[in-house]
Amino acid sequence: MLIDWFTVVAQIINFLILVFLLKHFLYGRIINAMDQREARITSRLEEAETQRKEAENEAAMFKLKNQYIESQREEMISSAKEESESFKKDLMQKAREEIDSIQARWHETVEKQKIAFLKDLGQRATKEVFAVTRQVLKDLADKDLEQQIVDVFIRRVEKLSQEERRLISESVNGSGIILITSAFQIPDEGQVKILNTIKEYINNECQIDYQIASDVISGIELRTVGHKIAWSFDNYLASLETNVLEAMELGSRSEGAE
Amino acid sequence: MEILHLDQISPDAVVLWKWKFFTLNATILYTWIIMAILTVGSWLATRNLSTEPETSRWQSLLEVVVVGMRNQIGEICQQDAGRYLPFIGTLFLFIAISNLLGFVPGYAPPTSSLSTTAALAVCVFVAVPLYGMWDRGPIGYLKHFAEPSLFIMPFHILGEVSRTVALAVRLFGNIMSGSKVVGILLAITPLLFPIVMQVLELLIGLIQAYIFAILSTVYIASALKAHEEKESFAHSSGSLSGSTTVSG
Repeated sequence: MLIDWFTVVAQIINFLILVFLLKHFLYGRIINAMDQREARITSRLEEAETQRKEAENEAAMFKLKNQYIESQREEMISSAKEESESFKKDLMQKAREEIDSIQARWHETVEKQKIAFLKDLGQRATKEVFAVTRQVLKDLADKDLEQQIVDVFIRRVEKLSQEERRLISESVNGSGIILITSAFQIPDEGQVKILNTIKEYINNECQIDYQIASDVISGIELRTVGHKIAWSFDNYLASLETNVLEAMELGSRSEGAE
Repeated sequence: MEILHLDQISPDAVVLWKWKFFTLNATILYTWIIMAILTVGSWLATRNLSTEPETSRWQSLLEVVVVGMRNQIGEICQQDAGRYLPFIGTLFLFIAISNLLGFVPGYAPPTSSLSTTAALAVCVFVAVPLYGMWDRGPIGYLKHFAEPSLFIMPFHILGEVSRTVALAVRLFGNIMSGSKVVGILLAITPLLFPIVMQVLELLIGLIQAYIFAILSTVYIASALKAHEEKESFAHSSGSLSGSTTVSG
């Protein structure tokens, strides 16, 4: 007999026990572990998906922020450029104005110095010229010239107007003395001529006091109280010097104004 | 070294201990050994299971085996395989380990005993109506025997019994003959050739375990509601129909 019924029953029992044991030790545990792992992986995937979405959102947000910052940056750069350009222009303008001002001041100073120098130079030159002229005329003076000077003086007295004569005559009336100053000793002949001419044209009763003064260059002066009739080179030179200085002053003023 | 003589067909004949009605033969002993290997192995492999994505090699192997079985059962049953996995999975693992250990000297596979295969076939024979009733209810399941006509019922019952017998005898015949062929070849040509045959026997043993488990699943599936609906849909659509009964 190939079938042993006791063995069959025993094997059925054995098999059922094995089913129970394997269900407990193998299938249940394995399936549980797999389910848990699957749940864990699913949750991780979901978490990863959530994080991915968050990351995408953040990336999009950062992209927007970057775009905004970029646009702001460009605006700021252009604004800064404009400001710097404007500031540069202002500075340049100020610098130009300052330079112009300094230049103007400098020009003014130079001009002033030039004018002052020219003025001084002119004055010195004039003085020197006239000093030399005076010296020359002094050196050149001789008898003939003195005679000529006396004659010229006499002619001047003769040419005085009625009013001038009257005024001089009245001024002589107080003291009765007319002072004649000359750079040289007037010869007697000349003194007579002068006396006669004064008596004839100015005052008949006056006396003449002759004096010699070196500062009267090649000339004669008639002085009364408050009046003076003179002729000398010095007068011409003084008049010429005055005219020259006035002309120089005028010239420097007009240059300064320009 | 062989515990089973050539003239002994079944390891049931090798009685190791006997007390009154109780007999401890080689079949029961080796069955206990296989049970111990499976239980202890499962306990060792599953005591430190990881729920992290990174797992140990043993755990991965077990997961592949369990998931493979579950998918196969699910494909045949067309529903969640969790309910049938312990029964069919244990059938497969027990038969497979029993057959694969055939290369160990002194070992006689319990599946080469008709008592064992009959016991397993009886388990299947009982499991089919139980699962059927669980799934469709007792009346729904029993009504299935009277379809399409009440006269068919004896044939249905006969079919149930015959396929159970076929199940038992197929496994027994294959494994027993394989053991005997190797034993005979060892006696005739002790060099090389028995090794090739033994390798072939390992393959046959694994295939037989697969066939036994698949057939059991098919028998159970044929008793389920989903199978019935699928079959009726096939009939109504005029497509090719037929019984899913697989015979050896």
